[in-house]
Amino acid sequence: MELKDILNEYGLVGVISTYKFTLDEEKKVEDLNIKNIDKALKMVNLQEDVKDKYLKDLSLDELFKIDLISKLDKDIIIVGNLSSCLNYKDRDFIKKLLLKLVNNYHKKIIVIDNDVKVFFNLVKVVVVVSGKDILYATKDFYDDNLYKYTSIPKIIELIKYLNKEGRKIQETTDIYELIKDIYRSVS
Amino acid sequence: MTSDITIMSTNLNKNILKNYPDYSIIGGEFTNNDLLKYSKVIFYEVLNNKKEEEIKELFSFLKEHHIAFINVTNNEEQVLLTDYLIIYDKEKILIEGSTLEVLKQEKLLKRLGIALPFMVELSLLLQDYGLIKDIYLDYKSLEDALWN
Repeated sequence: MELKDILNEYGLVGVISTYKFTLDEEKKVEDLNIKNIDKALKMVNLQEDVKDKYLKDLSLDELFKIDLISKLDKDIIIVGNLSSCLNYKDRDFIKKLLLKLVNNYHKKIIVIDNDVKVFFNLVKVVVVVSGKDILYATKDFYDDNLYKYTSIPKIIELIKYLNKEGRKIQETTDIYELIKDIYRSVS
Repeated sequence: MTSDITIMSTNLNKNILKNYPDYSIIGGEFTNNDLLKYSKVIFYEVLNNKKEEEIKELFSFLKEHHIAFINVTNNEEQVLLTDYLIIYDKEKILIEGSTLEVLKQEKLLKRLGIALPFMVELSLLLQDYGLIKDIYLDYKSLEDALWN
């Protein structure tokens, strides 16, 4: 199976890899000719004055958001570095926006990141690629094979540890579900 | 202030690097030996592709060679790898101090959009439920506190 087949099936795919911005940093935002730029800026919570800035002067969250809105007219949108560019509030906001683009506007989106945590509540399948080849794909965040390629998120590592110690904690990616389960277990 | 520092910010911007003019900015690929020519280095979002163990080894190497370092990152788990934490709100320092003391100001940090490391957040939530009294950073200590 190829990445495009997985993308066609799921609409939104997480890819474990490194993403580099390809925007020309010597340009100003307004030089990117982003369609309906004022509306697009509003959609990602950016002020209009960002249009006058050079890309090299943008903060990382601004750069991420400009990279995203510069691709909104494409059917397949590739974004990356959510974990390194965005604080957690922005990550949640952007994840909701990406889901909306897939569900309401029928976009297909590839999210590239090395931090699996970014994919929680966002993608149904995580893919490891090397060039154009798929090395591994899984729908299960608790799949040990996935962590041959990247770091294991702490919540998954802790639950695996507790279960190895016989504590019978349910597999989850939600800290509040984990707390409920711990509470039930120790009470 | 110690010689190993993490900086987090509400929105990371290279302008904050101007506040540390005596530090050499490390970007792109590098080896440990490349760093030996510096006495102070600053990593600006370049360690995110490394695994935690690799970062720990790098920081141990720097300490062993008495190279002061600053790690500028949005990765909340990395803050536990240094003793001192500085939180910027845009380009101004908002809070700084020993890492755990700063992280205890969880309400302020969350309001700013800065996440807590998983084990710190979990410990604080379990404290709210009256299940534990301290912050535990390793799994075994947390398990012992909860079940023993």
